[in-house]
Amino acid sequence: MSYDPIESASKGATQGFLNWGEEFIRNLVLRFKDKELAFIQDEKTIKRVKEQYNSGELSFYKEYIENKEMLFLLKMGLTLRSLEKDKEGERKQNLRTKIFNKYRVKGLHIAQFVENGILNRYIGILIDDIISLEKFKKDILDILENIEKYVLFVKNYDKEREVIKQIITIIKINLSMIFIVSGISSAAQIVRNCEDKLKKLLQDYELEKMSSGEKENLFFKRILK
Amino acid sequence: MELVSLKQVSSESKISLLKELGYNSDGEFVLDSKGNKVLDRYLEIPVKIDNMVLLPGSEVILDDNELSISKYFEEFGDVL
Repeated sequence: MSYDPIESASKGATQGFLNWGEEFIRNLVLRFKDKELAFIQDEKTIKRVKEQYNSGELSFYKEYIENKEMLFLLKMGLTLRSLEKDKEGERKQNLRTKIFNKYRVKGLHIAQFVENGILNRYIGILIDDIISLEKFKKDILDILENIEKYVLFVKNYDKEREVIKQIITIIKINLSMIFIVSGISSAAQIVRNCEDKLKKLLQDYELEKMSSGEKENLFFKRILK
Repeated sequence: MELVSLKQVSSESKISLLKELGYNSDGEFVLDSKGNKVLDRYLEIPVKIDNMVLLPGSEVILDDNELSISKYFEEFGDVL
């Protein structure tokens, strides 16, 4: 429940901000210490965090991933997706920066992997060929822990030639069974521009696309002969 | 739990609130009783009074961002 300080506090004349009286503050602090209230900025932020904390998608991931830090990054991915959906560009960029500062580029890529819906699709691909639950869990963790071996996140300043070269190199080194090329916004067009050349170069792979206006994800799955 | 938004509260009132809790401010950052900048518990960045969140549980002072608040939920549960 939200608390409306306007009813209890005197309105300050300056700058339209509320000025709280001493007695009112003392009372708030007492209630804070009794764990009856909390001081926040925007209620939407708390609501968004709660939604992800209780989300069905996160509950699904919890069934198969035990690593808590990894689960936290998946949750951050869901939060980025929620901010994107609500067109909260500035908050989304702020969160991306915070994720990057704490978990470096790998952590941000894991969060992006969830944000873009790639993890869900990857799980779908795994389910198609599921052998055992243990192997399934191991494969999910493997892609998350070694995300650079499986996914290339194209940046808006990348050159197509370099992107293609990088993809071929990674696939050759790792003998990848699956490889994903992902781009958002202007990087999505770079991914689209690379598609035909990649199809020609990766003839042992079958292409599956996940496209939307803002996003382009290419899944290259090795054809088993 | 009741949630009190600090968004429209004057700096003077926020500083008074901090003082009542045993903290202080230089007008920009939250300071502890020794005058040191209070760091966000999870990100270890100084907390600005314009972006501070005060949550129960040993008086947790955080920067208002989804990562820190999610970490708080991990540590204290869905208590808000």
